[in-house]
Amino acid sequence: MNNSIIEILKQKQLDGNGEKYIERMNSISQADVELELSKVNAAYSLERLMTLISPAATNYLEEMARQARQLTIQRFGKTIQFFEPLYVSNFCINSCRYCGFNRKSDAPRTRLTIDEAIADADIIASEGFRNILIVSGEDKEHIGTEYLTKLAEKLRQKFATISIEIYPMSQEDYHTCTVAGIDGLTMFQETYNSIAYKYYHPAGPKSEYNFRILSPDRAASAGMRRLGLGVLLGLCDWRVETLAMAEHSHYLMKKYWRSQVNFSFPRIRPALNTPHDYKHLVNDADMVQMMCALRLCFADSGITLSTREPAKFRDNLINICVTQISAGSKTNPGGYTTEKDSLEQFQISDDRTPEQIAQLVKSHGYEAVFKDWDRAFTK
Amino acid sequence: MDKLIIAGREFSSRLLIGTGKYSSNKVMADSLHASGTEIATVALRRVDIDNPADSMLAAIDQKKYLLLPNTSGARDAQEAIRLARLARAASGINWLKLEVTPDPYYLLPDPIETLKAAEILVKEGFIVLPYINADPVLAKKLEDVGTATVMPLAAPIGTNRGMTTRAAIEIIIAQSNIPVVVDAGLGLPSHAAEAMEMGADAVLINTAIATAADPVMMAEAFKKAVEAGRAAYLAGPAGVKFKASASSPLTGFLRNE
Amino acid sequence: MLKLKINGQEKEFIESDFPQTLSALLAHLSIAEETVVAEVDAQIIERKNFASEKLKPNSQVELIRFVGGG
Repeated sequence: MNNSIIEILKQKQLDGNGEKYIERMNSISQADVELELSKVNAAYSLERLMTLISPAATNYLEEMARQARQLTIQRFGKTIQFFEPLYVSNFCINSCRYCGFNRKSDAPRTRLTIDEAIADADIIASEGFRNILIVSGEDKEHIGTEYLTKLAEKLRQKFATISIEIYPMSQEDYHTCTVAGIDGLTMFQETYNSIAYKYYHPAGPKSEYNFRILSPDRAASAGMRRLGLGVLLGLCDWRVETLAMAEHSHYLMKKYWRSQVNFSFPRIRPALNTPHDYKHLVNDADMVQMMCALRLCFADSGITLSTREPAKFRDNLINICVTQISAGSKTNPGGYTTEKDSLEQFQISDDRTPEQIAQLVKSHGYEAVFKDWDRAFTK
Repeated sequence: MDKLIIAGREFSSRLLIGTGKYSSNKVMADSLHASGTEIATVALRRVDIDNPADSMLAAIDQKKYLLLPNTSGARDAQEAIRLARLARAASGINWLKLEVTPDPYYLLPDPIETLKAAEILVKEGFIVLPYINADPVLAKKLEDVGTATVMPLAAPIGTNRGMTTRAAIEIIIAQSNIPVVVDAGLGLPSHAAEAMEMGADAVLINTAIATAADPVMMAEAFKKAVEAGRAAYLAGPAGVKFKASASSPLTGFLRNE
Repeated sequence: MLKLKINGQEKEFIESDFPQTLSALLAHLSIAEETVVAEVDAQIIERKNFASEKLKPNSQVELIRFVGGG
């Protein structure tokens, strides 16, 4: 009951390569899948999720998509939330083997002053966005609580929600952030496989698996309302990663009932100076199965899809179970104000303007929501 | 059957029994026995000094049953706390069914006073099992202050109407990290089975057994229903027949590469 | 006459009959000690202290016991 997520994953053997789960999922039959799909509004269990992401269930994708769509519309209405990332620094002291911000990458680095960041944010605001995500490499000296507090206090005037996707912080620092108006945390574990984690994060503070995985606990305790989870798809077997992430989510939802869990699905995409020999790359059908299965286990969780994904893929998923998308994203600091050639974290695939994407969302019969909540009601 | 664990203590039976409204201590004791219960609730009242009959406590074998004193009659937190302390002094037991019911007609629990009392009693070392309306937010707040269970009502006490609060209890069960004991309003074994099939950890029955024409036989019926419901929950219910659809309007794009 | 308020009722005793302790009062009322819990002037009295708990005139005594309840 009071076990931490680290102990839960260890007990369930979901912090390794998950061999026993792969074996069990391979033995799931089509009849098992049909039985599972016949349950209406069933609650999450590891067994249910295993059945829905099993190889046998690949034959039932259409039915899963149909149920996922129905459930998403029932819980969220026909709406898609829009948000935009604001990259403030691509300085980084980590050595993640897959990342363009890797400290060994010799591409030019930029960090934005508060004024430069505000200039980028102004452009984002002028495009209609009211949800903003502050993104940074592990650049603690520059992007610390002082910087974030100052930035957030200015952003609050223009944005309804402010989230951060930066390095893990102490609970005290998260608290400072929430007081300043930052109310969402995105913290991808990248992989729940602790051995692979060590390999992909050989040095720097990010090599600490435990400190990272407990970040959502600290953030939620400090009052963050939204907790974004994700695994970097391509590093390890996606099915095992999905089970571990679901356990993490289930644990967080029960323990921190005031916060909402969101899932993201970052797929490995080409980045500068990183090798391209990933053995577990995830194809479109795998990803749709993963998203639908999670929706069928967690009816009320946000599902986010970023501009890493191609336009056509995103357009189709809007119609199934996605609840939030980014649009018009630049992944280099200062990318909104200048054309200067700073280092991008990854290449984006959907380069349509926010307006074009909003139009498309509307053409599917959905409302494009740039904000749905006003801070004034709570602060 | 898997064990029920409340505050670290294991129980084989998932049926809690209230001891009120029985025609005699003997029928009450026989019903307890037939139900297989290991937890029996009791209330505190002033002794009638003009007619101090024998205590009913002698009829309950405390080696077999954990006595769970309640705070019935308390109308606010302060009265509940006073009754709790008296109950502990009387029995040496620090387990407590906390109930605060200011309204004399439906005996519906007061959420605000219950939360207040729970917080204080937990700090005083009580193992608190609060009786509440089926309110998921209140259930989480009680869990946060350290209660051992939550006990949402299925229907107003004594009404025997079954799982009228089903939708809210589903949420409480989905969110709770502590045992959920469905209390009050379960009138038939099928109601108890329904609660257990949903995933409730236990149920508490009083009126439905005590006021049945044959309480002992009804106690046994509830015992079986609770066991059946728990087994069905653990077995994982089958769904209604699945029908496949031939066309692929949503996922067809995956094949058009 | 000396008075005690017991469970809300006034009881009068002639001076020589006034129960000096809680135990004496329970004996007078024919109530077995092990079946009750007592409060004197809103203070809970442990059962082991019934014999030593001195009663004063006009004290308020509450005698409480378990009954059937749900």
